[in-house]
Amino acid sequence: MAGEIGMSSPFTGLLQTLIRHRGVTGCMIVGEADGLIIDSSLQIGVNGDAFAALTASLYRKAQRAAHAAGFGETGFFELVAEGGRMCAAGRNDLVIVVVAAPRVNVGLLRVEMLQGLEAFV
Amino acid sequence: MSDDIRTLSETLAADPSSLVFVQLGEALRRSGQQELAWRVATRGLERHAQRADAHDLVARIAIDRGDFPRAHAEWESVLVIAPGHSGAQKGLGFLAFQQGDLDEAARYLGAALADDPTDQSLAAALDTVRASHPDRRPIEEMPTEPAPVADARTLFHDVLGDSPQTAILLDADGYVVAGQYLTADGRDLGADIGAQLSGVSEEANRAMRHLGLGRWNQIVFEAETSSVAMAPSGSGVLLVAAPRAVPLGYVRRLLERSVERARRWLGKSA
Repeated sequence: MAGEIGMSSPFTGLLQTLIRHRGVTGCMIVGEADGLIIDSSLQIGVNGDAFAALTASLYRKAQRAAHAAGFGETGFFELVAEGGRMCAAGRNDLVIVVVAAPRVNVGLLRVEMLQGLEAFV
Repeated sequence: MSDDIRTLSETLAADPSSLVFVQLGEALRRSGQQELAWRVATRGLERHAQRADAHDLVARIAIDRGDFPRAHAEWESVLVIAPGHSGAQKGLGFLAFQQGDLDEAARYLGAALADDPTDQSLAAALDTVRASHPDRRPIEEMPTEPAPVADARTLFHDVLGDSPQTAILLDADGYVVAGQYLTADGRDLGADIGAQLSGVSEEANRAMRHLGLGRWNQIVFEAETSSVAMAPSGSGVLLVAAPRAVPLGYVRRLLERSVERARRWLGKSA
């Protein structure tokens, strides 16, 4: 990934900001349609491919359900589980995915993810 | 399109007489593709009119479409083909309850519960029917609910107050067990909204199995007009929806309080 081998991408700055949050173990830019990683910053041991694919799938599902229910486009998405959190925010077929420990400042994370979406024009 | 739906579609395309249309129709229904689900189910039923599961599928999609007479007719067909079919009894019980026929509702739901005594949503629905009945048991015989709710649709009113938030409790099949989603003109869209959103919790269950994060406790997402929060509740899921202007943290608190309300109502530990 670009962040790991010293290359930079348009998303490097955003990923570096997100991964510095206490409790965040991985962050990725993922294709919404295919769930494939475009760029990422992951701690060792985090299965980025699995998180990317499944979070993108969940995000799509929420997106479709929200549309069908008449709620419009989905912005921020969060799943809280016993062993951690998955957050996602998307625009223009790209999704920011963040994997974190259960106790993370999700409010701050949300703000930075939504700000990060501004780059997805 | 999910992989499951794609695979099932391909199987059906290769063999239009395949019984896989039942799984495909159900998958489409749960994914919110109601019209496609309806076409698949009704075409399948034309080929397999003697299959109870085909009639049951058409009935459940008919409910999603608001076509209650068709759902009623299909579930009655199910009971002709498979007497005692619990899904049909449950569906007919809910329909009878919706129409205010409490004796009929209690008869169907009681029969379904006898068939599956572990189904908490059935037990809760039967309690609601009994609580609504003029000849109901004395209040002191209802141990889990200090203030019995005569109408399951109003279960969350005291939690939500007069504000525009709404809460719906769904069973594992996506049926509304309690709560309602009222539009500005007074229509209850709970069944439609529930059917659309219950698929998200199924997708979450699938993700949890692969990611090893344990059970999921809460899902929250913000859409253009509304924020939605959901959590497992009983064998189903509880949804809270609120206008975007309502702070997300408050929506989560409402969800937690609604889950607790539903837990007490269902009479079981979370």
